[in-house]
Amino acid sequence: MKRKRYALIVLGATLSLSLVVTAVLNQALAHKAKHTPEQLQAFQDVLMEQVRLGDLLFHGDGATAQQMGVNLSRTGMACAMCHPFASDTHPHEFPKFQEQMNAFATLRDMINWCIEKPNEGEIIGTDSEAMKALEAYIYWSNQGSKLDTGRH
Amino acid sequence: MNGSQGTYRNTDSEERPDRSLGITRRTFLHKSFLAGAAGAATFGWFPLINTIDLAFGAESFKFAWLSDTHLYPKDVNTRFVEKTERAVKEIQAMQPAADFLIFGGDLAQLGDPVELDLGNEILKQVTINKVFIPGEHDWYLDMGAKWEQLFGKPPWSFDHKGVRFIGLDTVSRAPDYWSIKKMSPKERMGHMATLDGSVAGPWAGVGHDQLAWLNSALADLAQDAPVIVFSHNPLYEYYPPWNFWVRDWREVHEILQPFSNVTNIHGHTHQVLYNEIGNLRSIGMLATSWPWPYAPEGVPILTTPHIRADPGDHFDGVGWAQLDVTAAGRVEHEYMMWRKDILAEAPWDSGTGDNANQVLRPRIADRQWPY
Ligand SMILES: [Fe+2]
Ligand SMILES: [Fe+2]
Repeated sequence: MKRKRYALIVLGATLSLSLVVTAVLNQALAHKAKHTPEQLQAFQDVLMEQVRLGDLLFHGDGATAQQMGVNLSRTGMACAMCHPFASDTHPHEFPKFQEQMNAFATLRDMINWCIEKPNEGEIIGTDSEAMKALEAYIYWSNQGSKLDTGRH
Repeated sequence: MNGSQGTYRNTDSEERPDRSLGITRRTFLHKSFLAGAAGAATFGWFPLINTIDLAFGAESFKFAWLSDTHLYPKDVNTRFVEKTERAVKEIQAMQPAADFLIFGGDLAQLGDPVELDLGNEILKQVTINKVFIPGEHDWYLDMGAKWEQLFGKPPWSFDHKGVRFIGLDTVSRAPDYWSIKKMSPKERMGHMATLDGSVAGPWAGVGHDQLAWLNSALADLAQDAPVIVFSHNPLYEYYPPWNFWVRDWREVHEILQPFSNVTNIHGHTHQVLYNEIGNLRSIGMLATSWPWPYAPEGVPILTTPHIRADPGDHFDGVGWAQLDVTAAGRVEHEYMMWRKDILAEAPWDSGTGDNANQVLRPRIADRQWPY
């Protein structure tokens, strides 16, 4: 009985939350109304949640990796050990010819190369949640960098 | 050239007077080493030599530097073990033998007694005298208990063939960020072991008590006698967010200022570095584990940066160092980096060239959560 009521509450909460989110998104998608500060904050929050998750993955947080179903390293090495502050990840230089792969590569290709080669981890889907989070963290950290496509 | 001039050599032995500092800088790659030393060619050694004049080296001798091995337990990875073993074998094979080995800290990765014991075992293969200073990775699980049990208590000083050697502890005096947050020793160590973490902050420092000790350790010394100061962190301000400094470097300089020939040899930065501030020269040593990228700003203008490391080869961009104090009173420093080319000539090959158009900002996630 208790459990049923709890389930109903959860269901109700989820429904009303998704209505709110849908309403916000509809407005955003429709692009007909002026944005409210609350909306902008909501958009920012979505980004920063991804930055936070990406940061944790990037710094080898085991719990986050497990939660997202990825194994980015088998060596104890984390991305941040060669890239503190996501330095030398160069999101502003991609896409470019990447010597290690002998191929024209995107940032996502490069992320997977690092996972597979130096870290000896398991590569992740190019459109996976973990990839988006890593990309979010890398871009956010390099905010202010100047586009320099193809730089070697 | 007189005793207070620094030199830095290059392939072409071309002299380049540095007008701003009134010193002569030369750089060359020591090709003779390739032909001379047994095994050198096999290992692909092509060491870089920094030559630094010291006025009063009475007798020629060598010593070796090894640091930043960052050992994990063997079941996590063996690549750092392999590289440490390689360096240790090369140090032991030095001909003539080095007078002593200075281990410059970060023996372990997470301060685990298993890691420290492993390091101690590997270092036993080096039979010359050994002296030790700690790194942050060695210290913050048990606040140095295991370290001190194995390697003794820093700071220390000794005289050797006319040179006063000082070993500082620049890691143990971090401000206490853990008690109020009720962190476990493992959490404290985790924050300390993250170079770009924001929780531990710019923790590196010498501390008042050790500054007083340093002052007294030099009290009886002639002001023109050579001094070599070993520290884990550099004794100047390069890049505080990664603790590429000690917070009280100005006080350190004040104490060292009366002495005309002071050389600081440091670890922690895992890269080719050279700097001069007043009478104090600083030389950054390589790690055996992995190279840190050059910081986005603050790289000393006197540094000729090393070439970009190949991330696909974990023997690249790393190594150890050999230092000679010659009878003529000079310290020659050779980076034993395990690759053919060490220095970058073109900006696109340079480790600092990576900083072009790159603007970084510090992370915030470790502050947002869970603290
Ligand atoms: Fe280190
Ligand atoms: Fe360190």
